This record gives sequence, structure tokens and C-alpha cells, in this order.
Amino acid sequence: MTGGLELRALGKRFGGVVAADDVNMSVPPGRITGLIGPNGAGKTTIVNLVTGMLSVSSGSILFDGRDITHAPAHAIARAGLARTFQNIRLMPEASILDNVMVGFHRHETSGLLAALLRLPAAARETRAMRDRAMALIGRFGLAALADHPAGGLSYGHQRRVEIMRALATDPRLILLDEPVAGMNDVESAEMAEVIRGLAAEGRAILLIEHDMRFVTGLCAHVYALDGGRLIAEGSARAVLSDPVVIEAYLGSPLDA
Amino acid sequence: MASLYNAWGPILDLYLLQLGFAFSQYLVLRAGVFSLATAALAAIGAYTAGILAVKHGVHPALGILAGTGMGTAAALVLSWPLARLRGVYQAIATLAFVQIVLSLNIWAEGLTGGAMGLMNIPRVVGTPGLLAAAVAVTYIIWAIGRTRIGRTFDVIRENEAVAVSLGVSVPRWQALAFALSGAIAGLFGALEAFHSYALDPNIFGFSFLIATLSYVVFGGRKSVLGPLVGTAVLILLPELARPLAENRVLVYGLLLILVINFLPRGVADTLLDAWHRRRLARRSAAAAEALR
Amino acid sequence: MIAQQLLNGIVVGGVYALFALGFNLVFGIQRILNLAHGAVFMAGAFTAWYTVVNGGPLWLGFLLAMALSGCLSVLIELVCFRRLRRTGDEEFGAIISSIGASLVIMTIAQRISGTRIVRFPFDTFPIQIYQVAGLRISLLQLFMAAAAFALVVVMAWFVYRTPWGRRIRAVTENARAAMLTGVNPNAVYRQTYFMAGALAGAAGVLVGLAFNSIHYMMGEPYLLFGFVIIILGGLGSIPGALLAALLFGMMQTLTIAFLPTGLTNAVIFLGLFLILLLRPHGLLGREEAGQLRGRR
Ligand SMILES: Nc1ncnc2c1ncn2[C@@H]1O[C@H](COP(=O)(O)OP(=O)(O)OP(=O)(O)O)[C@@H](O)[C@H]1O
Ligand SMILES: [Mg+2]
Repeated sequence: MTGGLELRALGKRFGGVVAADDVNMSVPPGRITGLIGPNGAGKTTIVNLVTGMLSVSSGSILFDGRDITHAPAHAIARAGLARTFQNIRLMPEASILDNVMVGFHRHETSGLLAALLRLPAAARETRAMRDRAMALIGRFGLAALADHPAGGLSYGHQRRVEIMRALATDPRLILLDEPVAGMNDVESAEMAEVIRGLAAEGRAILLIEHDMRFVTGLCAHVYALDGGRLIAEGSARAVLSDPVVIEAYLGSPLDA
Repeated sequence: MASLYNAWGPILDLYLLQLGFAFSQYLVLRAGVFSLATAALAAIGAYTAGILAVKHGVHPALGILAGTGMGTAAALVLSWPLARLRGVYQAIATLAFVQIVLSLNIWAEGLTGGAMGLMNIPRVVGTPGLLAAAVAVTYIIWAIGRTRIGRTFDVIRENEAVAVSLGVSVPRWQALAFALSGAIAGLFGALEAFHSYALDPNIFGFSFLIATLSYVVFGGRKSVLGPLVGTAVLILLPELARPLAENRVLVYGLLLILVINFLPRGVADTLLDAWHRRRLARRSAAAAEALR
Repeated sequence: MIAQQLLNGIVVGGVYALFALGFNLVFGIQRILNLAHGAVFMAGAFTAWYTVVNGGPLWLGFLLAMALSGCLSVLIELVCFRRLRRTGDEEFGAIISSIGASLVIMTIAQRISGTRIVRFPFDTFPIQIYQVAGLRISLLQLFMAAAAFALVVVMAWFVYRTPWGRRIRAVTENARAAMLTGVNPNAVYRQTYFMAGALAGAAGVLVGLAFNSIHYMMGEPYLLFGFVIIILGGLGSIPGALLAALLFGMMQTLTIAFLPTGLTNAVIFLGLFLILLLRPHGLLGREEAGQLRGRR
């Protein structure tokens, strides 16, 4: 085993609803792993379980060989795991820059007293973080908008800010919950490039997406989920042509 | 000059004291803690300082230090149960805490002087002392806003799930906010004790709570300017016109309703935002011009 | 002695139930803490008093109090909360806004009464004391218990047995889903606030009669007791609030009877603190008090 994320017989129940049942998955570093499934299949639930935002009912989660099943969410993030949210969650009134800068939280080391009194060490650190944030924003082509409030941006730009914030934590694994939902073709093609770049840097990536073309273009390995259970896995082409997967999508009343 | 001070000195002193309490309330709100405990923490600081001075003859400087320390300690202890609660539950718990401190202050007559109050506290703090404390606290609040502490508080307030996903330990940071809020409340409580000869438990009751909350809501909960402006306006308003002074409570009530509904971010923050937006617009316009 | 205290406690608890039920109904339906509920209660007491001193019969005062408090409560929702709900920051905003409303209402009452404590005329309610199995109970206490019981039954019938009540419960459960099925939430809110206010007004009259003391600040302690009750019973739970109000009434009369006077409030609120820590969702509630904000 070479690191990355490993789910073993993962299960989650909400009262009577089984949202995840005996899910086994692995998300290796340097590759883009896809997770698909109709609405309500339990994809976001998996992300919430992995990031510690929901408590696990059964099974276990390993990250780089370490058991993080019951670790608190903030500790999981500090271990190098980042996520984006399906329903965008930014600080709408804060600027892009400020939204990205909070992402550096786990790399900030200046003492509390230094920060309270704004001693030179703290001021220096803040400047350094600002420079790093600006570099990141520049890489995503939003430098001209850095001081603008995030809430006023287009949908596609907001999604980019979310990804930048997640990247600021310098994660080894990043979970992207529908990163191109609501984007036009050009934006989504740009996003594909970004995601490919992240994998090339050696990060493990779990990509949740409804856009099948997008998934096929990016993912080396795809898992299909329905009703909380894995119904297929393998190469994108194989999974998408699997009759069980097609049936699951066609059977879903909300299929897009 | 002297007559000017005689007329406005007491109001300036009142402003500086209330500013401290406003900042105490501001800090917890900024970190997303829905606490109304400032009144109780200020009472703890004030009574610690007052009792030490009156009953044990402790030097005021030590008394102020002890008041600040007790405010901090009480806040830290309180932060543990509060960390397990959210939103309105935090508000209710801290309201209960205010009520507990109030009742105990009245009940423990031997120690606190009970409902009659604590008398004969040496009046050793004047305008310069208050000014120094207010400037120091304003600086710290400003500094917090420009370092990682402020950034962390902001993300917790805006969205806890996001904060957690970035590695923020919410209970620990909220405990920090709470401890700072307690330190400031304790400090200004102690200053109040040494500024006013006497303490009475009801100073730190509901009207105190409503006043500090009003300063912050009216001024704004984000920038340093919020409490500075909010406290100034609400303290000066009654001085400007007699009808306003006579209807102080009514004015506060109406202002709270109006501001939270129509300027929910407070006067100072709204103005700052508008100014910021204008600057951005001008800059974009200039950039477009340059491109042409 | 204890039995007598418990009996007194149940009577008081019935009145608390009237107060807390409305408070809780509003919280349940909008997740809003209406801190002006104490002022609405006070307004009820003043209305009845005003009616009686102007020669009206008590029953008329009672009805007018319920009507006026109900309308006041609806007005508070309109003026203080409706706009906040649209902007979405109602958790913090409603507390501020309702504190404002409470200050306004209290100032008006203060002006009308001239900061005096006003009392019902001596013969407003006949003084009659019965002895039953060694326990003393006054006609007024019987009336209070009966009125509280009747109002609670009417309210429960309304909420659980009528189409309006069904809509209220639907909106409480999930406002958006209810809207999709054609329920107009604003109408539901109006009914809920009216009911909550009317119950508080009735409680105000009963308290005014029981202690024969009506004052512009009389709502404040009841608001605080209301917190204890709804936390004890579970925020949003109707049966919980009912049970908790009776329990609280009994506990309070016992603490007043057996503890040093100055300490009762400290003990009561310490109790509230403990409940919040040990059982934040209350006896019969199911809300998660420690839920992460922003989490789906
Ligand atoms: N906090 C929760 N409490 C109760 N049930 C939940 C909770 N979160 C999710 N569920 C349920 O779990 C199931 C899976 O939901 P989930 O959000 O994981 O689906 P999804 O695959 O992400 O769907 P979509 O494509 O619409 O985003 C759904 O039936 C949902 O109602
Ligand atoms: Mg999802």
C-alpha cells in the first residue's frame, strides 16, 4: 500500500436511512479517482465521513496508513485532507484574498501573543501568507479581482475560490464535491486542467461529478454508488457502460 | 479648557468605560460565540477589585490585575460548557450566568455588600487611566483584526464547517475569544470600581447587557470602528437633546429594531463597506481606461 | 407542608405553561427566541387591569387581554422578524430585534402606569378558601388551574386536531416543504404568534390576579423562567414544555419554601446550566443543541 485514502466497509446510518453501506474504496496519490451516482446516492455523505464532519457508524478510514476513522474533523484537515463543498461556502462579504488566506490556517505558526500585539513576527507572517495567497490567486487567473467581495463573483469563480482555499492548506488528498456544477464549457475545461495539474503534483484526488464527459476525461478509476452501496468500479468507460449503473441512473427520477 | 473638561469629562469617562465593555462583547460575537456574559464578567472583575481594595487594603494596581485575571478565569471556565452549545443555547446559558452572578452578588452580603452595594472604594482611576486602557484595548482589537487570530475568528463566525475543514479547532479558538472578552470585561469592571466609589449589583444587570449589545449592534461587529462609533453615538445621543435623554430606553429600543432590520451590519461597517466598494469601482474604471 | 407546596406549585406551573407554550411554539416554528414575550405577557396584565378599573367585568378584561396580547405578538412578528427572515440572519437578529420591541413596549407601559405598581380593586375576585384533605386551596387558585387547563386543552386541540394546526405542524417540521404543498407560511406565522401572545396575555392576567401586583417590568422574571422551562422540556416540544412547566412550578415553590430567599434564583439558573450541559435537548426535545452551524 502506497498511501492515499482507504475506505474499509464504511457504513453510515441516519436513523432508518442507510446512506453508506459496506463501501470499500481507495484513492491513491497522483491520480484522479471518480465517484459517481444518482442524486441521494450518498456521495456527499462519503466526503462528510472522510473529513470527520459526520460520525462513522461502521467500518474504518485510513489516510496514508493512519486510522482517522474517529479523529476530530480539524485534526483530519491538519493531517493533509482538504475538501470543497457542493453548496459553495465562502465568506461572501470578504474579499477573494481574505477567503483564500484563511486556507493557510494550518501553516501559520506565529505565537498568540505575537499576534495579539501584532509583533513583527506576526506581521511578517501575515505578509508572507498574503504573498502566497496572491500567487495562488494569480495561478487561477483572478488576480485582478483579488480585493473584490467573493459573494459578488460568478458561480464559476466562486468555485475556483473554494478550490484555492482548499489548496492553501497544501493537502495531500483533496475531495472535490461537484467542482464544475453550474459552470459553462469553457470554465469547466479550465477546471479540468487545474485538477489534472493537482494530480500531476502527486496529490490524491477524489472527484464527485454528475457530468459524465468530465468524469470520463479525467478519471483513471471510477466508483459508482447507489443507495449507499457501491454498484460498480473500474475504468470510466467500463463503469459508464455497466448496465447496473445505467439502470441506477435511469431509475432515478431526478436524473439530469 | 478646564470648563470644557468639567462639562464633558464625565461623558468622556463614561465613553471610555463603556467602550471597554463594548469591545468585550464585540470579541465574542466576532468569533461566532453567541454570548451575553459580558455583564457578568465585568461584575466579577469589578467586585474582585472592589473587595480586595475595601476589605483587604490591596493596592489598586494589584486589584485591577486581579480583576482582569478573575474575568479571564471565569470566562475560561464558562467557555467549556459553552463549547458544547450553539446559537440560542449559548445565549440562554450566558443569560443564566448573568442571572447567577447577579443573584449571588445580592445574596453574599458579607462579601459584596449585597443589594446595598460595596461602598468606599478609593477613586484612584481618572480620565488618563481610562484613556490608556481604552487605547491599549483598541490597539489589541485592531491587531487581532490584522493577524491570524482575526482571520480564524472570521471564518468560524461565517461558517463553522468551513473552519473545521481548514483545520481550525473551533472550541479552542472560541475559548480564546471568550478569555480575551473576559479579560477586557474584568479589566474595565475593575476600572469602573476604582472610578466610581461604589458598586451595586444592579449596575451589571439587564440594562448593562442591553447597552453593551446595542453599542456593538449599532456600530458594527466586524471592524474596530464598530464599537468605537456605536458606543460614541449611543452615549452622545442622549446628551444632544433633552427628549432623547428622557426617552433613552425607548430610543435604544427603536434603534435596535431599526438597525438590525435595515443596517444589519451596523452603521460603521456599512459605511466602510460602501467606501470600499466605491474604491474598487474607481479602480476598475481606471483599469478599463488604461486599457483603452 | 410539602403536599401544600406541591399543590401551590402545580397551580403556578399551569400559569407558567401558558407563558412557556407560546414562547416554545414560536421557537419551534421559526427557530426564533422572542425576547419580547415577557412584555406581551405584561401588556395582558395591564389590559385586564385597565378594563376592570374602568368598570368592566373581569371576564371582559380577560378576553381583551388575550386579544390585545395576541395582536401585539402578531405585530412584533411583522415589525421585528419578517424582514430578518428574508435576509436570513434571524438567529442573532431576532434576539436583538425582540429586545428592542420589549424595551419599546415596556416604556409605553411605564408611561401609562407612571412607573407605579398597579393593583386590581379589592373585590375583583371573591376571596374564598377551601379545605380539602388538609390542603388549603383558594377559589382564585382553582380558577387559575381551571383556566390554564382549559386554555392548554384548547391550544392542544387547535394544534393537533384542526387543519390550521396541521399546517402549523407542517411548517414547524419543514417550512419549505410545507410551502411546496401550498401552505402560506405567513398566515401560519400570524396564527402562531396570535396564539402565543394570547396565551401569554392570559398568563399575565392570572399572575396579576394571583400576586395582585402589575408592573411594567413584571415580564422579565417570567421570560427567564420561560427559558428554564423550554430548555427543560426541549426547545420546540409542546408536551415537553407542558411537563417542564409543571415540574418547574413545583421545584420553584419548594426552593422558595426551603432555601434562603436570596439563593433561589441562583439555584434555579444553576439548574438551567446543568440541564443545558447534561441534556441540551431537554426532557422531550430532539433538537441537537450542539449542531455545527453551516453543516448540512
Ligand atoms: N445529515 C443528514 N441527516 C439525515 N439524512 C441525511 C443527512 N445527510 C444526508 N442524508 C441522506 O443520505 C442520503 C445521501 O445523501 P447525500 O447528500 O450523500 O447524496 P449525494 O449522493 O451527495 O446526492 P447529490 O447528488 O444530490 O448531491 C440521502 O437520502 C439524504 O437524504
Ligand atoms: Mg452531494
